Amino acid sequence: MLEVNNLTKYFNTPSGKLHACEGVSLSIAKGETLGLVGESGCGKTTTGRTIIRLYEPDEGQIIFDGHDITHLTQKKLLPFRKKIQMIFQDPYASLNPRMTAGDIIREPMIVHRLPKDEHTDRVNHLLKLVGLNSEQAGRYPHEFSGGQRQRIGIARALAAEPEMIICDEPISALDVSIQAQIVNILEDLQKSLGLTYLFVAHDLSMVRHISTRVAVMYLGSIVETAESDELYTRPLHPYTVSLLSSVPVPDPDKSAMRHIIPLKGEIPSAVNPPSGCKFHTRCPNAKPECSSITPVLQDKGSNHLCACPFV
Amino acid sequence: MNDEILRVEDLRTTFTTSAGEVKALNGVTFSVKRGEVLGIAGESGSGKSTAMLSVMGLTGEYSKVKADKMTFMGEELTPSRVKALRGKNIAMVFQDPMTSLNPVLTAGYQLEEALKRHHWNGNIKERVIDILTKVGIVPAEQRMKNYPHEFSGGQRQRIMTAMSIICNPELLIADEPTTALDVTVQAQILNLLREIRKASGMSMILITHDLGVIAGEADRVIAMYGGRIVEEGTVREIFNSPKHPYTMGLLRSVPKNDGKRERLIPIEGQPPDLLNPPEGCPFVKRCPKAMRICLRQKPVPLTLSGTHKYSCWLAQKAAKEVKE
Repeated sequence: MLEVNNLTKYFNTPSGKLHACEGVSLSIAKGETLGLVGESGCGKTTTGRTIIRLYEPDEGQIIFDGHDITHLTQKKLLPFRKKIQMIFQDPYASLNPRMTAGDIIREPMIVHRLPKDEHTDRVNHLLKLVGLNSEQAGRYPHEFSGGQRQRIGIARALAAEPEMIICDEPISALDVSIQAQIVNILEDLQKSLGLTYLFVAHDLSMVRHISTRVAVMYLGSIVETAESDELYTRPLHPYTVSLLSSVPVPDPDKSAMRHIIPLKGEIPSAVNPPSGCKFHTRCPNAKPECSSITPVLQDKGSNHLCACPFV
Repeated sequence: MNDEILRVEDLRTTFTTSAGEVKALNGVTFSVKRGEVLGIAGESGSGKSTAMLSVMGLTGEYSKVKADKMTFMGEELTPSRVKALRGKNIAMVFQDPMTSLNPVLTAGYQLEEALKRHHWNGNIKERVIDILTKVGIVPAEQRMKNYPHEFSGGQRQRIMTAMSIICNPELLIADEPTTALDVTVQAQILNLLREIRKASGMSMILITHDLGVIAGEADRVIAMYGGRIVEEGTVREIFNSPKHPYTMGLLRSVPKNDGKRERLIPIEGQPPDLLNPPEGCPFVKRCPKAMRICLRQKPVPLTLSGTHKYSCWLAQKAAKEVKE
């Protein structure tokens, strides 16, 4: 469905070139959910945004449904934009406060020229699909709670009948009791509409729950990719091991038994990332050669890819 | 009885807004023992932060705070008493490390300020260096000359933590201390707080929406909903045998992280409207087991054990009769 090869995006900042995303390769099969995890500033959002070309990639290739969309003009890109939609993190900032819920959901239909006489029916249908009702179409975003606003965001993403949705931290801003509602809606929609998801998030237990495969990013690069359960039960990369050990478990008995492997120091600057393996400055198993060899993702068996030559 | 550090009885806080009176707290009673970690769970608007701000006298001019009793180490918490204790004996760490520090003053200056304010008798600079070293901001002597923007988010939260414990408080109120942080940094901060508690016997109230953090840190847990305490118990009582439908729902709505990938069971509905709270149980609109009486009458707390209490009509025999 989607294949990304060696995707690279730099940003120019006053302090130098920021390596937001460097040599990222990933692929997502139809109907699958790829979870993209990592800590703030690791480039997961940039990766998502570059894939739908909200940012222009500096290097690499984006292939969607067999078509190379890396360098398409905006006009030629439009049909692909229709097929890949996005859900954003902040349901307070991502909806225009001066548009009604109905208009917000209708807008993509206008942009992508869906038959006009079907718009209203479709808006009502989409509202129902995300658990709202058609009477609510005339209301403004501030009249909805956070969870309801995120439902509107989902309905808007579905309006253009996409095949794939990039979910950028879709539940991070919501209360725990509401998160599960949204995750269930996303799962139901995937089943009924055959959607493919790229699920960007930092909540590792939710990512495990929703993803078929998971990719872990550190400082702009993917360090490990595997089937969701494989990654969580048998993490290989030292960064993944430490990251997963830090996830709090909602069970006092298990919590008392877990062993946290702390990371030393601070995350280095993406303007001037470490040479070789970017993780070598904080890696508990770092060897002298790690600062010179740039590791590549290697298959360690059963499609478990890891960018560390020493595991 | 002497090991009770903080005691609050029937706390009621309201805010006057243009839309009317918001009843943020409707009778909250709790206590914290020496050396104990009390976890407070609940969603946004449940009153967890308001309860703490009310204790600290920081709710602002548009609020009314009433309580039957509020004592700290046996002494009544009058406004002037609270002012003297605040920052010294009772300290607070806030969620947002980006906005809680003054951007135009150095970290060292802000730490020194806290000591001077509370008449620290000892070498101020030595204490600042000592505390910064303890929270892992090294080399402290140089780093104390840096401004907040020269630190990362995790470091700023560590400076905030340093500031809160610099006067050796008896009680630390940590309001979502790690919510804005990444999990690896969160682990560092929680570990740091644990070490401080071990060394000084400090008590802590930990407010967080992250059930994982509560499970790992708290001794006792209070679950709040709509400005009321719906359940309280030891961490094991709450996580292993929750009784209130809200607590049960909350625990069911998070993934167990065991790879079974069972469908999550969310709590349906939306958070409560505090402008017009229901007359009876605050959770009635979202409760899967709601009965007629829940709409009209506030449930009476039921004590299951010395530590486990919950407020739900399901527990009352009388309620079953009402249903029929």
